[in-house]
Amino acid sequence: MPGQLYKSAAIVGAAEANQIGFLEEPATALQLHIEAIKNLSDQTGIPIAKIDGVFSTGWSTELCEHLGITPKYIDTTAVGGCSFEMHVHHAAAAIYSGIIDIALVSHGENGHSARKIGSGGGNYGRGAGNASPSHEMTMAYGLGGAPSNYAHAMVRHMHRFGTKREDYAHVAKVTRDWATLNPRAAMYSKEKHPFGGPITVEQVEESRLIAWPLTILHCCMVADHGGAIFVVSPKIAARLSTKPVWIAGAGESMSHGNMMEMGDFTKTSADKSAEAAYTMAGLGPADMELAEIYDSFTITAAMTAEMLGLAKPGEGHLLWKDGHAAPGGRLPINTNGGGLSFNHSGMYGMPLLIEAYRQLSGTAEDGVNGDKGKQTNARTCVVNGTGGSLSTTGTLVLISDDD
Amino acid sequence: MAYELPIPRRGIHTRPFWDGAKEGKLMLPRCIDCNRVHWYPRHICPTCHSTNLEWIEGSGEGRIYTFAVQHMVFGPWSEHAPYVTAYIDLLEGDRMLTVLRGVDPEKPEAIGIGAQVRVEFEQANDDTFIPYWRVVGA
Repeated sequence: MPGQLYKSAAIVGAAEANQIGFLEEPATALQLHIEAIKNLSDQTGIPIAKIDGVFSTGWSTELCEHLGITPKYIDTTAVGGCSFEMHVHHAAAAIYSGIIDIALVSHGENGHSARKIGSGGGNYGRGAGNASPSHEMTMAYGLGGAPSNYAHAMVRHMHRFGTKREDYAHVAKVTRDWATLNPRAAMYSKEKHPFGGPITVEQVEESRLIAWPLTILHCCMVADHGGAIFVVSPKIAARLSTKPVWIAGAGESMSHGNMMEMGDFTKTSADKSAEAAYTMAGLGPADMELAEIYDSFTITAAMTAEMLGLAKPGEGHLLWKDGHAAPGGRLPINTNGGGLSFNHSGMYGMPLLIEAYRQLSGTAEDGVNGDKGKQTNARTCVVNGTGGSLSTTGTLVLISDDD
Repeated sequence: MAYELPIPRRGIHTRPFWDGAKEGKLMLPRCIDCNRVHWYPRHICPTCHSTNLEWIEGSGEGRIYTFAVQHMVFGPWSEHAPYVTAYIDLLEGDRMLTVLRGVDPEKPEAIGIGAQVRVEFEQANDDTFIPYWRVVGA
């Protein structure tokens, strides 16, 4: 008997770059990608703008950014030469489930030319390479880590909404309050870390400047973290002793790779990824009783809350300032202490998932060391990860088993 | 004085830009079909997906979209900190990154979003002239 994906999707075209082989005039990997995609579009009559899923071994955001498209399914599975067969499998699953209609599976690799000119972007297993045009046109200008870039978004957000840096400092203060309820948080207490324990808005404001307007306490830490989750079928879940937390909705989107290509610096693509997740769940922001939001910086959390519909544009920070996000508030946010005060190793998406699971399964480490604990009564949670330079977003709506 | 900051590694498709920079011209890629300028340079127009592209000489004028002041910096730029990075909206459309000239990094409140800027070029080596933008008006 055929499986569920049997004839759920078809390959309808195939094309190559204009020139392939041992090219005399070297080509970049990105160029080979783009030529093949353009030829495929011409062959099939499918406009590039209609592509809603992108599957490639490289940093797929770079491909999308170069094409000027913002797909709702982005896969960069890169496990060697068989990756593209896996991409077709993943694309079929995505099409079968109704998430996308048109999947692009793309390859561009200049194994020969790379000896002369390097990869030129879009290459296997790498982000925008040393010779990719976005890197070429930005590398001169003294940008370093994430804060150097995110600060630009904060300035634009403040300019647009007339907010002050202090408004966002409340995010750091409240998130630290949560960390003081979590013995596993790096900033749990002064005993655990010299800079741990409760902080004030004034301390956030007066701490050392990293990239104006961001002071160090507006920024997440960079520590060590490892985490993992299982996602299983209802059949398997029913056999286990652990409590299931159900995936009610999921969505993903992107707006750019390089921040230079970010259109409006006061918005991320989380409005799109959240809309997809809410629609799938049949729920909306007003139904959310908890939020776990990637808080790489205070501005990231505040802006994302706006994108998730938890606050009006320009008012995200008020969730923290007015105490709603705080312990005991109506909408607890980042109950583990966040990337700001719990842990952040570079890619914070996993800790978000772990805390959301713990909260909704009633295992959120309460009562340790005599603390009153961070366990909430929430039955629904919106989880949002942000990647790159405010570039990519993945949103989940999770619900507890007893909802 | 030798230029000791990072010098872009030039790609194989961007020669007109760097040739122009050497002559003090800001060359920009434009789509012949939809007439739109895009930045950074691409193999395909990110708006209409035409591959019919050309280079034009830009006005070298723009406005500050947003900025930040870099204080904690590693590598060659650290000796210049604090300095002001900014995204510039080009008169012709689309956006460019730069380090702003003609501003006081200690007084970020005085830097105006929307302020007029003009491009200038700094010589990095025999062939490479790097565009920087200077504030010239409110």
